[in-house]
Amino acid sequence: MDLILTNGMNLVYAVATLALIALGLAVVFGLLGVMNMAHGEFVMLGAFSVYVTQQAGLPMLAAIPLAIAVCAIVGYLVEWSIVRHLYSRPFDTLLATWGLSILMRKLVEAGFGRDYKSIDQVLPGTVDVFGIAYPSYRLLLLAVIAIFFGLLFAWYRRSNTGARIKAMVSNPQLAAAVGIDTARLARMTFVFGVCTAGLAGVALAPLVRVEPYMGIDYLLSSFFILVVGGLGSLEGLLIGSSVIGGTDTVISTLFAKTSGYMAVLLISILFLWLRPDGLFSRR
Amino acid sequence: MTSLLRVDGLAGGYGDVTVVRDVSLRVDGGQAVFLAGRNGVGKSTLVKLIAGQLAATGGTTTLDGRDMTALPQHGRRLHGIGYAPQEGVVFDDLSILDNLTLHYPDRDLNRYGDLFRLFPRIEERLQQMAGTLSGGEKKILSFCRALAEDTPLVILDEPSEGVQPENIDRMARVILDQKARGRAFLVVEQNLTLVEDAADHVYLLDHGECVFETGRSNDLREDLSKRLQI
Repeated sequence: MDLILTNGMNLVYAVATLALIALGLAVVFGLLGVMNMAHGEFVMLGAFSVYVTQQAGLPMLAAIPLAIAVCAIVGYLVEWSIVRHLYSRPFDTLLATWGLSILMRKLVEAGFGRDYKSIDQVLPGTVDVFGIAYPSYRLLLLAVIAIFFGLLFAWYRRSNTGARIKAMVSNPQLAAAVGIDTARLARMTFVFGVCTAGLAGVALAPLVRVEPYMGIDYLLSSFFILVVGGLGSLEGLLIGSSVIGGTDTVISTLFAKTSGYMAVLLISILFLWLRPDGLFSRR
Repeated sequence: MTSLLRVDGLAGGYGDVTVVRDVSLRVDGGQAVFLAGRNGVGKSTLVKLIAGQLAATGGTTTLDGRDMTALPQHGRRLHGIGYAPQEGVVFDDLSILDNLTLHYPDRDLNRYGDLFRLFPRIEERLQQMAGTLSGGEKKILSFCRALAEDTPLVILDEPSEGVQPENIDRMARVILDQKARGRAFLVVEQNLTLVEDAADHVYLLDHGECVFETGRSNDLREDLSKRLQI
């Protein structure tokens, strides 16, 4: 029974963290149509923000404003200098952001080295959940992610800005005709997307390897989630995370990590082949 | 008298294809100017150039003395050019309520009071997704959205397309009423009844150029009918 509960908690944790990681790409790719190949590198910037704050003797919470500031500045500059010129050219954005991802990895490698960074555990110890000992930090992370997504859902559905973003995605020319500055809104949406990637990096830094090349895996898993869930909806993001995270966790637990990864690949290929718009596409 | 809208030598089109060539026109406050012409002569392209949806390759557009030529589309709307396009007239994925209010910080529906009295079906279905409306209903929704904005100039591209005759009459009444309050209209229209009811001045386009213009007269409809058959 304990084993089932532990695996169940791990499954929920895997789905939640995957959804958090993929959120930034879901925003940038799903709403703006930009396949941001540097998505994982923004996760990496967030994780390195934790490393920098800990090296400076500051608490981990200080990494949150640092990650937001770094990702917002880099994201703003990237959108302004590269992405905005390529919005209607998806293959070009893919190539441009792929080049950007290499540049970001190499710059961080030049500044911090190639080796894994040691991140101090935050909130060590365990909490008793339904009779099983579960890591406190993971539990906190689950609560924070649940609250964050709840607030994001409510804001996107009810706020004026959420409606304007939907309008821009649905009909950009009409959005401009009613007075919406679609270029500025797209820039802010891009910046929001990369900042959420940075925040995912902050949240996961104490639990994962932190090194300049860590972002590649996150880009792939985020992409698989969007393939399954579809573009342009938070529902799709959560469903995609559940399918990918659930499959990976269950198969990896029953067989081996490689089997889990193979299963995820197989599902993604099947979706690309049979249902290329995913389960919840709104684009 | 200075015209509210002045278009001088406007030219433009799509990519390398020039559709509108050297068009000049005037719209005064309180005036409804109609653009007539057969399909494909450049009427919609001309209003897209004036509204800023397309970039002009030549000429100027000024509103109330202010040069709009370099402004992007949202900037022209904020400076007083309202626009209801011919196609893609609503946000299909949003509710009718969102379509009507998302561009207002206060999201207040009171500004639609008079329009809702004329077109009550819109108010009855505020929570319905706009994409589920018929083509004519979408046109009415677009018309209401553009008319409720506080712009001195409203550009309407084929507002009566697919709309029932009684609702076209109501549209004409709204235009006449707002004209009387000093608002200016530039309307692309094929429905000669609406032109006859509301036009103060008509420009006839052919091959992207203005080939004829006329003021309001008793034989406006007959005159235009003959010329449109050419």
